[in-house]
Order: sequence, then C-alpha cells, then structure tokens
Amino acid sequence: MANRNLDAHVKRIGLQNKIATGILTCIVGFVLVLLAAIVVYILVQGAGKALSPGFLTNPSTDDVAPGILYQLFDSFYMLLITLVISVPISLGAAIFLVEYAPDNWITSAASTAIETLSSLPSIVVGMFGSLFFVVTLGWGISIIAGALALTMFNIPILVRTIQQALEDVPRSQHDAALAMGLTRWETTVNVMLPAAMPAIVTGIVISAGRVFGEAAALIFTSGSAAARLNFASTNLASPTNPFNIFRPAETLAVHIWKLKMEPTPGNDEIVWGTAAVLLVCVLLFNVLARVLGKFLARRLTAE
Amino acid sequence: MSDTTQNEALLTTRNVTVTYDLTHEALHKTDLTFKGGEVTALIGPSGCGKSTFLRCLNLMNREIPKCRVGGEIFYHGRNINTKTENLFELRKSIGMVFQQPTPFRKSIRENILFAPKKHGRLHGKDEEDELVETSLKQAALWDEVKDKLKQSAHALSGGQQQRLCIARTLAMKPDVILYDEPCSALDPISTFTIEETIRSIAEAGAGICQIIVTHNMEQAGRVSDRTAFFYMGDMVETGTTQQIFSAPKDQRLSDYLTGRFG
Repeated sequence: MANRNLDAHVKRIGLQNKIATGILTCIVGFVLVLLAAIVVYILVQGAGKALSPGFLTNPSTDDVAPGILYQLFDSFYMLLITLVISVPISLGAAIFLVEYAPDNWITSAASTAIETLSSLPSIVVGMFGSLFFVVTLGWGISIIAGALALTMFNIPILVRTIQQALEDVPRSQHDAALAMGLTRWETTVNVMLPAAMPAIVTGIVISAGRVFGEAAALIFTSGSAAARLNFASTNLASPTNPFNIFRPAETLAVHIWKLKMEPTPGNDEIVWGTAAVLLVCVLLFNVLARVLGKFLARRLTAE
Repeated sequence: MSDTTQNEALLTTRNVTVTYDLTHEALHKTDLTFKGGEVTALIGPSGCGKSTFLRCLNLMNREIPKCRVGGEIFYHGRNINTKTENLFELRKSIGMVFQQPTPFRKSIRENILFAPKKHGRLHGKDEEDELVETSLKQAALWDEVKDKLKQSAHALSGGQQQRLCIARTLAMKPDVILYDEPCSALDPISTFTIEETIRSIAEAGAGICQIIVTHNMEQAGRVSDRTAFFYMGDMVETGTTQQIFSAPKDQRLSDYLTGRFG
C-alpha cells in the first residue's frame, strides 16, 4: 500500500517536473525568437541601405546619396561626453554608498532618490533639460544639454551596477586589507575597485548601449537639426567644429524619429538603414561588454 | 610546550566587554595576558565570544557598526582601546589571518609587497625580493611558489592561499598575529601544514605572539602553549594547554572537552 502510494507520488512529481521544464523552455524560446525576429527583420529591411555606397560616409544633406555620417559621429560623441560626466559621478556615489555611508535615514533617502531618478520618463527628463540647461542656463540646443539629460538617467543605472559590483566583492577582502593597516580609501582603491572592475566595466558598456539608443530625452535638448560639420575645423567655438559641445547635434535615434515625422519619398529606406546601423551598434555594445568583462576577470584571476 | 625565553607580556586585556546593537552582550569582562613567542588557543563552542574577543585585539570590531568595546587593552603597556588610538598604525604590527583565505586579486609577489609598499617601507627591488623570499620561507611556501611569483594568487590551492596570507602578514613584521579559525576551510593535509607553520614561527625565536581561535580541540592541543576556554560570552578558564586538557577545573570545560556539547 505504502509502496503504491510512493510510486504514484514519484510518477506525479516526475510529470510535474516535465511540465514545468517544458513551460519554462517555451518561455525562453519565445524570448529568443522575439529577439531574433526583431533583429532579423530590421537587418533584412535595412541592410541593403546601410551597406549602400556613401550611406556611412555621406552627410544627410547630400543630394545624390544622403547618408548618416554626422549622425553616427554625433551619437558616439554624445555617448562619450555622457560617459565622461556620468561615470565619475556614479563611481563616487556608489563608493560612498557602499563604503562610507552611515546606516541612517539620509542614506536610505539617497538610495530611494537614485532609484526614483531611474524610473523618470525620459521625455520628462528631456523637458527638464530643455527648460533648465537650454533656456535657464542659456546653453541653447547643444550636445552638453543633451549629454546632461542623458547623464540624469544614466547615473541611477550606473550607481546601481557599481554598487552591486562592489558589494559582490567578498567582505573578507575588505577586512583583510583593513587588517593590514590600510585606510578605507586605500582599501577601496587598491583592493575593492580592482576586484569589482570586470563587473563595473560590463555595467558601463551595457549602460552605454542604452544611452546610445535614447531619443526622447534628446529631442528638446540637443535637437534634431542635421548638423553641418567640418572635420578640418580647428576653432572649438565654431558651430561646425565636430568637438564643440555647445553646438546642436542629431543622434541616430533622433534621426529616425525626425525622418518618420516628415515623410518624403526615399525617407523610409534611410530610416531602415539607420535603424539597422543603430541596432548593430547596440548589439556590438552588448558583445563588447561580455568580452571585456571576461577578459578583465581572466586577467585579474590568472594574470 | 616550547620553552621560550621571550616572556614579555605583549597584550593584556582588562575587563574587555563587547556589545552588539547596543544591547546584546557578546563578551563579558575578559582578562587575559599574551606573551611574545607563545601560541595561545582560544576555544569554545560557536557563539561563545572567542572570535569577538580576537577581533578586539586589533580593533577590527570598530569596523562593525553599533559594536562597542569596553575595558582596557594594553599593547606594550599602552591602552589601545581609546578613541585617539591610530588604528592604521596599530594594525601594521598586529596582523590577522582570516577564516577564508583572502588573497588579493594580484600576483603572489604583489600580495606580499602590497601593504609594505603602501606603508612606504620598501626601497628598491632588492629589498622587495628579499622580503618576498623571507616571508614566503617563514610561511613554508617558498619552495612551492618560487618559480611562479608573478602568477595570480588565486591560482593557488586553498591551503597555499592561506599560507600566502600568513606570509603576507609576516611581511609586515608584526609582533602579534591573530588567526580566526584559519583552517576551518581547509583539508586535513593543508591544516597540518598551517599548524607546522604556526609552530615554526613560534619556535623561530622572533618573539612573535600568536593567538588562534579554533573550534578544533585537537588543533588547540597540537599548536598552542596556552589555552583559554570561552563559554557563552565568558572567559571561563585559562592555563597552559597541558593543564587545560589534562586537568580542567571548571565543569563546563570538562563537559566541552569530553564532547557533551560543542
């Protein structure tokens, strides 16, 4: 009797196990198919245009073969400026929260504030940026205004990842360094940061992928005017100097938005081509994040 | 066990009391004396306060929020349990080895040199090479790693990592080394090597005072000259290891030794 019960029980949990595994496999499969479908569809639609002669090397104002050279440059330049501003701030904030912050209400208020910042709608951040950086500070529609708007929602993501990376370093490493008479700062810089570096770099590159594709926050801050750049310019104050951070700039994502808003013949092709380029860049960021993270981890553990 | 001539009392605690979270008393009024050249084992069941006590001696408890240490701790006759004590100076001469091996993510050589370099003690490659070699020899690791000093310390086995941590501590030229259950994560052979290392440091005549927390009574018997038994936050009994194991006075100690609890 007891044996038969046991047999039935084993059968039942065996079946449950099979059904659960099946369902979970289906869910994962669905996610994979979804991603593959989007990527393939966009690449199929856009690859022809993206690879057509001049698309990556001509400005969008070119009469014969309009391209996305300036948009591509501006996307990377905007990303660079954003990272230059947001990485040091996030690093400082994360180190403070993990290593120094006392366990009190101010610290928990700060953590909550950072989390709230990450859930602000990007269009609202863009509105704020346009009112404050563009109008109040009088910087005008500019790369720096756009980069600061991007910084505002890049910071929470980065603080979270860096905080997590530092907390994942075994506490014993920290204690061991302190027990050797090192100060907290020496411990953080020489022991904690190197140990957390693979995860930090991965986090930064993944956040870069998100920043790279952002459009809503930039429409009102860095604008959607096709830039006119002169790569030979040496005058940093000139509006055509590519490195002038006070000039307007149009990124790839904003370019897509703008072309969709003003439908003219031939635009759709450019939109698909731009989307394909943007997608490939973002995918490359993800691949780069993994490769870099693995490379750093290996270098740190096995020299 | 070993007859040592260096009998200077390096560390003395008087009425040391530790409270966590302001209310929970983990250690009650402990008086103990530790001498140079001696190995002292702190034994007792889990949660008895032995590790808590050990972490008082290099003021590591200060790193735990809401932990208060009362009483006096005399190091070379000077009370270090004061607000003005320079923790960072103190920890240069009171080293600590932890339960889990804690090599830094650096090469073997850099693990040894890291702290002395930070403290500005080394000048030139010759001094560095010499320190690496002597420290590793003292920790009985030199022969195993001398050809791969540039390799990552994480590639070593657990026992080797722990001996590297001892070598790293020795490189600081401490006169006290605290061990917090240093073998609890290791296999019997590695454990044996660590115990040998501890004994050889004691017998080298450098007058280094070693204090080891262990829940392994056989280990206490093998490595220590003196033993202190902790029970529920009290230091119950202390004496030479021989006396503690062969003629315990307190009932709780003899119950513990005979395995009635633990």
